[in-house]
Parts: sequence; C-alpha cells; structure tokens
Amino acid sequence: MSKGINTVRASTIALLLLPGVGYLVLFFGLPLARVVLGSFAGRGKDAPLATLDAWQQLFANPVYLDGLWFSLWLGVAPTLLSLAVSLPLSALMQANESSRRFFGSLYRIPLVVPGIVAAFLVLVMLDRGGMLMRILTPLGLGLPKLVRDPVGLGAILASSWKTIPFMTLIISGSMAAISKDVIAAARTLGASRLVILLRIQLPLARPGITAAVLLSFIGSLGSFVIPNLLGPTYPLPLSVHMWSEGFQKGNWPLVYAMGTLLSVMSIAVLLAYYFLIGFLNRGEAEAQRLGARPRAGASRAPEALNANPA
Amino acid sequence: MALSHAQRTQVWVGVGLYGYLIPILAVPILVVALWSFYDPAVGWFPPDILPRSLSVSAWKEVLADRQIIPTFFLSLFVSTVVTLLTAVLAFPTAWALAQFPFRLKRVVEIFVLAPMIVPGIVVAVSLGEVFFSLKLAGTVFGVILVQTVGTLPLMIRILAATLESIPNELILAARTLGASPRAAVMRIALPLAWPGFMAGGLLNFIASFEEFEKSFMVGAPKVQTLAVRLWAYLGGQILVLPTAAVVTFILLIPMLVIFFVAERVMREDVMAAGLGKL
Amino acid sequence: MDKSLSIRQLVKDFGTTRALKFVDLDVPAGSFTTLLGPSGCGKTTLLRAVAGITDPSSGEIYLGDRRIDRVMPEKRNFGLVFQTYALFPHMSVEKNIGFGLEMRRVAKPDAQRRVQAALELVGLGHLAKRLPRQLSGGQQQRVALARAIVIEPDVLLFDEPLSNLDAKLRDGLREDLRELQRQFGITSIYVTHDQSEAMALADEIVVMKDGEIVERGTPVDLYRRPAYRFTAEFLGLTNVIAADIAGSRCLLPWGAETRVENPGAKAAEGVAIRPEDIGITADPEGGGVVTHAVFMGASTHYNVDIAGLNLRVVAAGGQAAILEQGQRVNLTPPPALHLLQTFAPMREAAE
Repeated sequence: MSKGINTVRASTIALLLLPGVGYLVLFFGLPLARVVLGSFAGRGKDAPLATLDAWQQLFANPVYLDGLWFSLWLGVAPTLLSLAVSLPLSALMQANESSRRFFGSLYRIPLVVPGIVAAFLVLVMLDRGGMLMRILTPLGLGLPKLVRDPVGLGAILASSWKTIPFMTLIISGSMAAISKDVIAAARTLGASRLVILLRIQLPLARPGITAAVLLSFIGSLGSFVIPNLLGPTYPLPLSVHMWSEGFQKGNWPLVYAMGTLLSVMSIAVLLAYYFLIGFLNRGEAEAQRLGARPRAGASRAPEALNANPA
Repeated sequence: MALSHAQRTQVWVGVGLYGYLIPILAVPILVVALWSFYDPAVGWFPPDILPRSLSVSAWKEVLADRQIIPTFFLSLFVSTVVTLLTAVLAFPTAWALAQFPFRLKRVVEIFVLAPMIVPGIVVAVSLGEVFFSLKLAGTVFGVILVQTVGTLPLMIRILAATLESIPNELILAARTLGASPRAAVMRIALPLAWPGFMAGGLLNFIASFEEFEKSFMVGAPKVQTLAVRLWAYLGGQILVLPTAAVVTFILLIPMLVIFFVAERVMREDVMAAGLGKL
Repeated sequence: MDKSLSIRQLVKDFGTTRALKFVDLDVPAGSFTTLLGPSGCGKTTLLRAVAGITDPSSGEIYLGDRRIDRVMPEKRNFGLVFQTYALFPHMSVEKNIGFGLEMRRVAKPDAQRRVQAALELVGLGHLAKRLPRQLSGGQQQRVALARAIVIEPDVLLFDEPLSNLDAKLRDGLREDLRELQRQFGITSIYVTHDQSEAMALADEIVVMKDGEIVERGTPVDLYRRPAYRFTAEFLGLTNVIAADIAGSRCLLPWGAETRVENPGAKAAEGVAIRPEDIGITADPEGGGVVTHAVFMGASTHYNVDIAGLNLRVVAAGGQAAILEQGQRVNLTPPPALHLLQTFAPMREAAE
C-alpha cells in the first residue's frame, strides 16, 4: 500500500485513541460491566453464581418500585419546567445583541454552582421560615410546603435551577447558528417575531433542543444530592436507595441492580433520541448546517436533475 | 414616537431576562450572603426580611475550623490535576476523531458519550467498590481518577469539535513544507485548538471542583473535597444555617471569580458544538 | 398608488462610525436603480434601512406619500433577495415561496396557484417539492426571486444576489431578473460592487462612497461624462490627465490638442480619457513608447509611456497589427473630453 501524505495507519489511530478511550474502558467500561454482572450475583457465603435475587428484590418491593417512579418523576419534571423557561429565554437572547452579551454571561452562573449549593439556596429561600415566606406573609399570601414535600417540589425547583442555564446554553447556541439572512427574509415576507420563533427558529434548532432535553433528563434522573437534601422521606429515588442499600446495608447486588436499571433507562432515552433524529429527517442535521453557514459556492451538481435553467 | 421599535424590543427583552435573573439568581445569593453574616446575639427570625444586625462570628468560626482551609486547597489541587490529566488524555483521542474517518468511529463516539449518559451515581458506585479492593478508596489519587472519568467525555467532545473546525489544508500545508505529522500537530493544530482547551479546561475545573457523588463514594470519609465537606454541614442532624452559608461561600467564591475572569471562554458555540448534537 | 421611493436625509450610525451621511435619493416608480460602490460605502446599509431590517438613526423614507421608516419590515410589503439566498432550509421550494402568502393569509387554492405561477416564471416548475439543499446555487437564487415576487411587493430589493454564483450562471440569471422586473414594473433597488453588472442592469446608477452619494445617472452618462474622478475610475478603466485648459481648448501633455465639452466646470481636476477613446498608431517619430501589450482577443490592451505619463490604451480587434513592447507610437485623443470636478465629501463629525 503506497503511503501518501494522507494515509494513516490503523495502528496510529489506535495509538491515538488509546489514552482517552483506554482510560474510559478501564475506569468506566469495565466497572460498569462489573455492575451489570454484579446485579446477578448472590449474597452470602453459599450464594449461587448467578441469580435473579437482587432483581426480584427490586421489582417485588413496592418501596423500590415507588422509588423507580419517583426517580422518573424527578427526571421528567425538572426537564419540562426547564424547557418551559429555557425556550423563551433563548428566544429573547436572540432578539438583541447587546443584552445578549451582558445577560449572556450572568445567566450561566448556576452552571458553576454545585448541586449542593443549589439545594441550600432552595432551603434558604423556600423552606418554612425562608425568605420567600417572609416576603409573602405580610401580603397575606401563603406558601405550600416546598421542602421535604411529598411531590418533591423543592428538589424539582433546585434541579431546574441548575438545568435551565445548561439548556439555555445549548438551545441558544443552536438558535444563534441560524443564518441572520434567513431570519431577515422571514421578516420581510411578513412573519411576526412569534411566527419566526415557531416556524423558523424552533424547527432549525430542534437537534440542539432534543439533545439538551435528553442530557437534562439523564442528569436529573440520577441526581443524588438534591433529592437527598430536599426530597421527601418517602418515596426516595433509586439513587438515594443505592446509597443507603450500599453503604449502610452492604446489599451490593441490589445496588448494582438499581444502577443497571437506571443506566438502561438512560441509554433507552439516548436510543429514542437517535431514532427520533434519524427518523424525522435524515438530512436534517445537514439542513441545519446549511441554514447556518451560507454556501459561498457556485453551482453544485444535485442528485437527480436533468436539463434545467441555471 | 418616544422609542423606536428596536428600542421597545430592547426594553421587553431586558424585562424578560432580568425578570428571570434577579429573583432566581441575585436574590438567593444575596440572602445566603446575609445568612453568613448572621449575628447570634440578635438572630434573624421571621418576619424580619432583613437581619437587624450583622456579625462575622460565623465566618470566624468556620475559618477557625482547622480543616476548612486545607480542604479548600485540597479541592484546588485535585481539580487542577484532574483538568490537566483530562486535557492530556483527551487530546490524542479528539485528534483521531476529528481528523480521520475510520470504521468504528461512531462506536467510539457513542462509547465516549456513555459516561455522560449513565447516571453519575452509577459510575461512582461502580468505581467505589473497585477502588476499595484496589486500596485506592479514601486516597487523593483515587478521587482524581474517578473525577477524570466524568470530565473526559466532555473534553473529548469539545476538543474534537474545535479540531474539526481547523481546515485540513493547514495541516497539509505544514506537511508539504516539511513538517513531520507530529510537528504539524504540535505546532499548528495544538495552538489553533487553544480556545477548545480553554473552554473545556475551565468547564472541567469547575465540574471537578463542585463534583459530589463520585468524590463522596470514593473519597469519604478520609479524603474530603470542599463539596463533600459542605454536604456534611448540610446533611447533618441539625442544620446550622450561618455555618452552612459560610461554607457555601467558600465553595462558591472561587467559582465565581474564575467565572467572571474567564467567562468569555465558555462560549456558546463551543458548548453547542460539544453538546448540541449527540 | 404611487410606488416611487423617497429617501430624505438618512443617517445611520454604528457606534461612532457613520455609515450613511444624510443621504437623499429619489427612486422613480417602476425603475431599476443600482447602488454601486466599493465595500464599506454604505450601499448595503442603505438597502437594509429601506427594507426595515436596519433602523436608521435619523431621516425619513417614503413610499409614494406614505412615510414608512417607522413601519416594521413585516408590514412594508417589500421583496428582498439576498446574496446568500436565505431560503428556509427545512421547507420545500413551494413552501418557501408560499411563505409570504401564508403570512398574508392568502387562501390555500389561491396561494397554490400563485406559487406554481411564480415557479413557472423562473423556470423551476418541476422542482416544487425539493428542499433547498438539493438545488444548485443558481436554482436556489431563482427560488429566492420567486419568493420575493410572488407576494406582489411594492418594491424589490436586491443585495448583491449574483455574487455567489459563477460567471456563466450570473449572466443568464441577470437577464432573467431584469426581464421579470420589467414585466411587472416593480420599483427596484439593486446593490452591487461590480460595475459591469450595474451598467448591464440599471436604468440609473447611484454611485456611493463613504456613506454618501457621489453622483447618479444613466450608465451611458456616468461612463462617458462622469462628473467626478471617483466615478470615472470606478466605472471601467480610465486615464486621468492633468491638462492645460484655456476656454474650451485643451492641450494634452504630449502636445495633442482637443476640445473640452464642459468648460467652466468649477474646481476642475483634470480630464478623463477612456482607453478605448485614444487612437494609437505606430510612428517611429512618435512621442510614446509601448511598455506593455496584452492581446485579449476582441481588443488589445497597451500601456504607453508618453510625456512622463503611463497611459492605458485599448485598441479594438480587427486586422490591425499588434504593436510590440518598445515600439514608438503616436496617441490621438478623442475630439471632445469631459472635465472632472473635485468631489467634496461631507464632514465626518456629526452635527
């Protein structure tokens, strides 16, 4: 095989991939495999090699089933709330360059704030005796229980607090990538700002929006600290159960079963994302790219066109 | 007409954006700040909206805690090492992904994405037990290793996106001028990828500094990062608000400093490129 | 309704830079006016102000007798054709074209008919269902044109629409564009930096520089009788020569004599002679020497050193012998020359 300037040996590629991929295989892939396999392990001295014990415990016990639903709830609710806030925020940021620059840096602050602190902020503001209550009481208004409440509102709010800037970053970036000429064209054709948002910006930013939603859901699904500090005492999400079953009771196979279940759910969401993206429009990612960067090129032979003008 | 259309839009946009920022961000942080200056002699009970007097006693108490300052520096140390380690590990992989089409590329991309998809606590638990048997649990080294698992995927993706945007012609030009492949990468690609390093590096540092689950599972109770320490303060039986407020600020202030000094590095386009499409 | 466009004292500031300096312009209804100038002269800013995409800092714009500078772009009923085509990438060709009609709440069957008619007009009737990325650049621009025309706009605005196309496509589309405009009689403003394009298209060319209008006129007028040196040099090749003027007599540095057709022009700045207007003949006693000769097929371009000047001379093709480098020549000026005036740009600072 002749070696041109562009030929690269497979061994070179493997060598390049080794540090990063190798590290992940070693410290992520293998341990994860251990977790999955470990969920089929037995406990105790006379334990059989492979058993469904842990899985049975997981699915038969209503405590854990409630925990599973609660985990899903704590994943979905903050994501929906954040989406409802991020979309208008991202749209507003596109509207004006100067406010975008100033605001653009400030709104990202929660990204650097740890989840614990977010939980603490919710405690300070929204708990009984917290600041919001002190402001509302003289006005004659009351506040529902927001910390350690059965629905997990406090936890949802804290998660959303962290997720909103994250989503806004991605969605706003996707919207900003839309060519300004396309927006201007829509305006001169008579589209109001709302129509532009709904018919142009959202469709073209859809891959980014979907990715943001996905990552947010997964992040909230496995969150430990926030539900631990703000959530109700029952039900507990699986992540908290994992901690107590593991470090307090040592029932590792059960912990691994929970971990495997959470992982499977997350991966299922990723696969659903790929399916949606691939299904909806094969070339949509490319269409978005083309909408973003104008092709400063002349003609290019399209796939199946015969004699046509220009 | 008092304001042009563009100016009116600007007003509405400002209202919307700051209407979000002030109650959600500015007020809570301000309240926590006030709590850190709680005066135990007077207290701050409802229905007071503002404290009647301030005191630095909570600050003094926390800073006198002999463990806080070392913990702070430990967190700094860990995060710095994690950031550097991640950058070194991520670059070759990102380079391979950005420059060369190869058959298993999509598989590698998905595998690299996986640690971001699998919930952090699962990763933490999986490593917790392994490290325990390797005697790495409760060591700083162990904490560094486990945090890197979390930061590596994002760095690889951000670097790959940055490297992809470098036109291939530049590398080819360097090669035709006599540069070996390695020299072309180190002298041309690496400097041009600097924005990606900065953005990814900063994100990694921050993510590592504030990380909880993995550091907790692997490090506690012997090795505590600042975030883990805060959890101890918050999750205890009795919540002492002023103390927790002080520790919160000790955790928060460096982050805010880094943030404002270098926020322009956390560019939208880099983030969108690294995370916008999976 | 009167569809003429009037621009009065338009100013646009970007921070401390003044991109448009008190521009006054009248565009007659149904005419095709080109804004021509180098990059940064303000032509695109002016177009965008007329479209409503950019808000002017001060000044007024009228359509007929209706003031429109405060009207939002979506209400102006102007068609805009962009250099980057700006087609909606996620919509088919027919949806793109129909978008403006949808915004105007035109009934579906009507809209469909009009979209199809517009497609036929630009010769793309069979591509209705395609997506923009499946079309060539020229086709995309035709779709953009159809999209702008189908809404029956009061004014058509073109922002260097042919710059992204290669030369062959450009000519064809240029002709079709002009033909359509003529057919519908829509008042049009066309921005370009390409002087040959401006001359080929325009009823009237408006030459701009540094945010103001230098001069305006028909292509023939501006080419043959430019008032200013800037115009003369921007529109094709020219030689600007300092000459001795006495009344209407003009004495050129190498001794040739000719007439000036606009004597008494104030603040004169020399004469402009087009290279093709200079006669060149081989003459062993001649005062000029050919320094450079390039055979271009239909013509030959010469550089001639004469009387301390280096002049461009273009000789038409035909059977005449090609002169060589180093050959001595005689240059004959045209019978009448145009005197250039000094252009006085507006002050930089804001009032």
